[in-house]
Amino acid sequence: VLHATRPLHTTQQCLAPLPPLPEKGGEVRHGLIPEEFFQFLYPKTGVTGPYMLGTGLLLYLLSKEIYVINHETVAAACILTVLIYGIKKYGPAVGEFADKLNEEKIGRALAVKNEAIKNLETAIEQEKKEQWRVEGRNYLFDAKRNNVAMLLEANYRERMLMVYNEVKKRLDYQVAMQNLKRQREQDHMIQWVEKNVIQSITPQQQKDSITKCILDLKALSKSAQAAV
Amino acid sequence: MASRRAAIKAIDWAAFAERVPANQKAMFNALKTRSDALSARLAALPEKPPAIDWAHYKAAVAKAGMVDEFQKKFSALKIPEPVDTQTAKIDAQEKEAAKTTAEYVQASKARIAEYEQQLQKLRSMIPFEQMTFEDLHEVFPETRLDKEKYPYWPHKPIADL
Repeated sequence: VLHATRPLHTTQQCLAPLPPLPEKGGEVRHGLIPEEFFQFLYPKTGVTGPYMLGTGLLLYLLSKEIYVINHETVAAACILTVLIYGIKKYGPAVGEFADKLNEEKIGRALAVKNEAIKNLETAIEQEKKEQWRVEGRNYLFDAKRNNVAMLLEANYRERMLMVYNEVKKRLDYQVAMQNLKRQREQDHMIQWVEKNVIQSITPQQQKDSITKCILDLKALSKSAQAAV
Repeated sequence: MASRRAAIKAIDWAAFAERVPANQKAMFNALKTRSDALSARLAALPEKPPAIDWAHYKAAVAKAGMVDEFQKKFSALKIPEPVDTQTAKIDAQEKEAAKTTAEYVQASKARIAEYEQQLQKLRSMIPFEQMTFEDLHEVFPETRLDKEKYPYWPHKPIADL
């Protein structure tokens, strides 16, 4: 992607928060030369222009000995080879690792933020619920008043019942006393009459009655045999 | 008799139970058992005691004036109604509860407004990728390092690292 110059300090307005940095840096060719250079030369010299320029420049430097080849050239060549090989091989991995670290950091921050939001929301829920609960206080007072009313009513009824029971008990007592007295008198009279009758049975009468009983029994036994 | 019949309102115990918070459940249960006991006791008592059969007793009891005397005194007897001392207190309690409730609801609403504000701030926050440290300190003031209390790096007690 070509880097349009970032719009900083172009207008009087202060751009805050700053627009985010682009994902990737400006494109380069061969790791060194930015793409803009090739685009810049393209209208005049076409595609091969910059390469021709580069080759010509290099040959000029070498042939005129402006750049002298000595030991350092060899050292530079070896070092550069190793470096380029290392970067090409392990560069992406290192980049990913760094990105992962960054993402974890941001992830932690996001987690904190989300948790804060969640907590606030539950807190609001709780408060609303508590308000709803509080509205039900009428029930409590109605219940209390009911209790009081029931207690009074129950008390009154108990008292009435008690009065009734007491009066009834007393009247019943009187009636029962009378009945008892009457009964005792009757029993006593019966006993007295029986006693007198038994006293008046003379021995002669006893003998007579026993003989009669035996005769009756004999007669009965005769008829009883027939029935069996 | 009108003063006796303080109307016994039907209470929706289920709805009541819903509104009771968990830490007051025990008190609620106590109230409910007491209420139920009272209503059971009330239901067990007859509203009026049965009438006494004076004719029967007059025929049965031999002593002359006793039954008549009893009857006269009985019909003249007036049972005092129990005096209601508590309803006034309950009404006073209710008024006070109304007042405290209003205060509580006020405070609650204030708290909700606070929470809403915080929520708004968090929701309209810029994403972390675009923040500078200054922006972070604005949104989460607890991350700000106190450079006056701890002038040397890392600007917070080592234990907090």
